[in-house]
Amino acid sequence: MIDTLLRHLDSVLLLVFGVSALGCAALMLVARQPMRVAMALIATMALLGAIYGLLGVHFIAAFQVLIYVGAVMVFMVFTIMLLEVREDSAPRYSKLLLPGLAGFVLLLGALGISVWHALPAAGAPAAGAATPGFGISTFAASFVGEYWLHFELTTVLLLAAVVAALAVIRISRRAGDRQHHG
Amino acid sequence: MDKTQLLLGLALALFALGLLGVIVRRNVLVMLMCMELMLNGVNLSLVTFSQQAGTTAGAVLVFLIFVVATVEIALAIPIVLLLVRDKRTLDLGAYSDLKG
Amino acid sequence: MTGTLTLIVLLPLLGFLLNGVLATQLGGNRVGKRFVTVVGCGLPLASFALVLQALAQLQSGDWKPLVEVAYRWALIGDSRFEIAFYFDRLTAVMALIVTGVGSVIHIYSVGYMAHDKSFGRFFAYLNLFLFFMLLLVLGRSLLVLFVGWEGVGLASYLLIGFWFDDLANARAGKKAFITNRIGDAGFLLGMFLLYHAVGTLDMDRINAAFNTAGGAVPAVSASLVGILLFIGASGKSAQIPLHVWLPDAMAGPTPVSALIHAATMVTAGVYLVARMSGVYLHAPEASAVIAIVGVSTAFLAATVALVQNDIKKVLAYSTVSQLGFMFLALGVGAYGVAIFHVMTHAFFKACLFLGAGSVIHALGGEQDLRKMGGLARRVPVTFTTFAIATAAIAGIPPLAGFFSKDEILWYAFASSRGGSVLLWGVAAATALMTAFYMTRLLWLAFLGTSRMTPEVEHHVHESPWSMTGVLVLLAGLSAVGGFIALPHFLEPLLPLPAVNEHLHAFETPLLVVSVVLAASGVALAAWLFGGDPARPAALRERFATAHRWLSGKYFVDELYERVIGRPLVWVSDRVFLRLGDRALLDGTLDGLAALGQRSAGWLARVQTGQLHLYAGLVLAGIVGALIWSWRHV
Repeated sequence: MIDTLLRHLDSVLLLVFGVSALGCAALMLVARQPMRVAMALIATMALLGAIYGLLGVHFIAAFQVLIYVGAVMVFMVFTIMLLEVREDSAPRYSKLLLPGLAGFVLLLGALGISVWHALPAAGAPAAGAATPGFGISTFAASFVGEYWLHFELTTVLLLAAVVAALAVIRISRRAGDRQHHG
Repeated sequence: MDKTQLLLGLALALFALGLLGVIVRRNVLVMLMCMELMLNGVNLSLVTFSQQAGTTAGAVLVFLIFVVATVEIALAIPIVLLLVRDKRTLDLGAYSDLKG
Repeated sequence: MTGTLTLIVLLPLLGFLLNGVLATQLGGNRVGKRFVTVVGCGLPLASFALVLQALAQLQSGDWKPLVEVAYRWALIGDSRFEIAFYFDRLTAVMALIVTGVGSVIHIYSVGYMAHDKSFGRFFAYLNLFLFFMLLLVLGRSLLVLFVGWEGVGLASYLLIGFWFDDLANARAGKKAFITNRIGDAGFLLGMFLLYHAVGTLDMDRINAAFNTAGGAVPAVSASLVGILLFIGASGKSAQIPLHVWLPDAMAGPTPVSALIHAATMVTAGVYLVARMSGVYLHAPEASAVIAIVGVSTAFLAATVALVQNDIKKVLAYSTVSQLGFMFLALGVGAYGVAIFHVMTHAFFKACLFLGAGSVIHALGGEQDLRKMGGLARRVPVTFTTFAIATAAIAGIPPLAGFFSKDEILWYAFASSRGGSVLLWGVAAATALMTAFYMTRLLWLAFLGTSRMTPEVEHHVHESPWSMTGVLVLLAGLSAVGGFIALPHFLEPLLPLPAVNEHLHAFETPLLVVSVVLAASGVALAAWLFGGDPARPAALRERFATAHRWLSGKYFVDELYERVIGRPLVWVSDRVFLRLGDRALLDGTLDGLAALGQRSAGWLARVQTGQLHLYAGLVLAGIVGALIWSWRHV
């Protein structure tokens, strides 16, 4: 039994990580305290990183943990702590719980069936578990070479974000002044 | 079950869960986190396809999504903070200023 | 000289434009009375001179009609519609009457309207009327005639309601115009039929088409056309049942009554029928209708005139009655005689109206006969001319009225185209009444003891020579006008009907009877009104019911109001206003607007401002799009 396990280790691990990620994601929806939700999300992201690693794209796994968990979620946790959010009595769910659930089921069904029909036949060649994936050098070369335009556009987007942040600061400062003097 | 199918199923489920979370949860910060979950689901599907087809296009797009997600959070949270400073609650049900 | 006819028509139009712009508030009252008088009277006189010249030209050209095309109006396919003028014997007579009598009435108006604040406007309107009337008589095609027809209706409306500050005058003008338009419906239908059958609206061509040798008459019932055209004529010439506007039209200034409602406009209907004689010669049924309507109108109007107390109303009903005589003549085929009566009637009726105007002027506005009397010595010229004109209308020989009326009576009796004893009898009775009520008018106004109020009596004065001179001229024409042998002059164009063989013997006896009737009418009135005022009062009491009916003009206006007016108003109010306009149209529009508003309000409920709902809608949209694409791709 250990033999078969070790022979299909990546598939098993993939299955384990996948189910766990799904579980953590479901937990996100159920947990009451925002901090617990944040923890669940961090767990999901980490598990996803593991999956990326299993798929062979290690650098993306690294980025996932670095950027998503390390920057985004840390910022989120920081905000939760700053606001000292403790949702003990506030209602958890909005009015649209039941319609939302129904829509969720429909969405899964629709997406699932659409994707199912669009996929090539199961067992497509050369897409097995033994694909090595590509390394960071390949990635870097194509990123700066072939997709340089997208790179530049993203830079512009970052610039826009900086401008937006400055604007937000100014608006908040003006609002603060009006509150003090008004 | 095929690996691709499993991963794609997972990606779809994550996306759907994220969207459900946006509709269902009342806390603003929790909604933001659910939006991050949606993005993660999309990332997973992109990586799956990229690895399956062997091109780097998917990976590039994933990287750019990282950048955009970071920026988005960097701006969304301050906006939420500013809103909360006025209304003093994180409950999105209380925000209906744009009604009608 | 070419262009004479066009010039005849256009000169009064020029007068209208000059006076209408410069002498009214429109142009800022730039010119004074002298300019208005010179332009307003001079241009019609110039037209008169040109008509004489055209007549001379006609005579020298062997009486071949003059034709002048002024303007090509429209060219639709193969048919051409032109503004063309036509001058033959009949046109000459009518044009002379219109410009001649018209010009002298213009001169009279200078004195009569001297103190009126809208002096310029009055002359502008008078010139406008002359322009349209000349269009009417000189037009070659029915289309040009119709333009003139409508135009004189317009001018009549403007002039009846001249003093429009008094609402009653405006209403009278409206009544005249609308009654005219009812007649015009028949006129238009007749025109359509003629155009359809003959292919042209030129009157000379239509007459020729109906009179082709061998009788290849166009495929349309001449009687039908005849009756339709007569409906139009009865609107314009105040025959029953469209006569109701003429008495009300007396609300206008007296020169207007003289010119338009005695001498010229009301004779347009007679002119129309005479001009279309080619059609009527082949329409015995229509001619019979015309004769019967004419004689009935004459009789009934005369009965009403017997008891009227307003000096102008007596003359108005007298006009209606005399027009009935003219239509009687047309109905029995004596077209030339009818035109003869038009001419003599223009002379004496204009003289009577202008004389009445002179009396009103002398009395400072009084029009009620019961407040007059004993004026003969105070206004001698007016009295003399009025008396001559009265004698003329009564039919005393050798004045003008005697000749024309006697011819009408003779042809009513003896014409082979419908003459009968019955027609003659009714017409003779009418002639008797005419003599009677005219003499009554003369007596009550001028003779006997004065019933005027003291302050009025104090101010009685003779009119200026611009007014009395015209009266003298017209009285003179009334006296000698009968010697102009008009029927014979018109005979080449409008042949006199043949007389029934066996009736020739009656000619002289009937002549004597006419004179006796006239004389007895005068004598009866003189006896009744010349003596004790208790005598007419007793007569009135004995026949009180009849008197009430006659005073009320047979209550025709009230009947029309009850039978036509009120139902129409009801339909307008209930059906068209409340149902059609308010409920249907407004309701539909308001309903659509309300529908839009309500549905927008209902749809706006989606915008709750709640982010959850919006996200939920996004989810629903995605699901829907996926399902749709899954099913269709």
